[in-house]
Amino acid sequence: MRLGIVRGHVTLTPSVPELMGLTLVVLEPITTANLLANNGLGGGKSLIAVDALGAAKGQTVGFTEGREAANPFWPALVPVDAYCTLIVDTIKAGKP
Amino acid sequence: MFLARIDGTVVATTKHATLSGCRFLIALRLEADGSTAAEPLVVIDWLGAAFGSTVLVSTDGDIARERYGNTTPARMVVAGIVDQVQLEQESSRRTA
Repeated sequence: MRLGIVRGHVTLTPSVPELMGLTLVVLEPITTANLLANNGLGGGKSLIAVDALGAAKGQTVGFTEGREAANPFWPALVPVDAYCTLIVDTIKAGKP
Repeated sequence: MFLARIDGTVVATTKHATLSGCRFLIALRLEADGSTAAEPLVVIDWLGAAFGSTVLVSTDGDIARERYGNTTPARMVVAGIVDQVQLEQESSRRTA
């Protein structure tokens, strides 16, 4: 799971039936340097993920990538390779 | 699988339903020269890895699926806590 900041949402018309009704968010992954600096910036290459948790713009989420991202839809087969697994409350990183 | 250094913790109230009670840690992937990767990872820990310890992270979600069910998006799991890493000497790696 990587960390990403929600930068916006995407809607599709039309879309493949498997994606209908899903919420898609634009994520900006957080780099190690930005995480340790705790500056609220992302810095990674943007990507789109499915969000079932209702993450709002500006919130930080943990997102799963790869085949496991489609597991929540099991046994349906969906073309999903990124899925918001958790919404971050707090992160403690760096020297305690 | 790869080695990573535990560099923090993540608190998340809102998360996928299969993952309630999970312990999430920030892991920085280690390269052979001891440097860390550009982006931090959120991993699930069952073993009680401490801050600063080196762990073996598995990116295969099957072990998480076994524990949390088929619909879990969990993927990266701490598979072991490292005692010692022995790297080949630079000189013996060369093969004329």
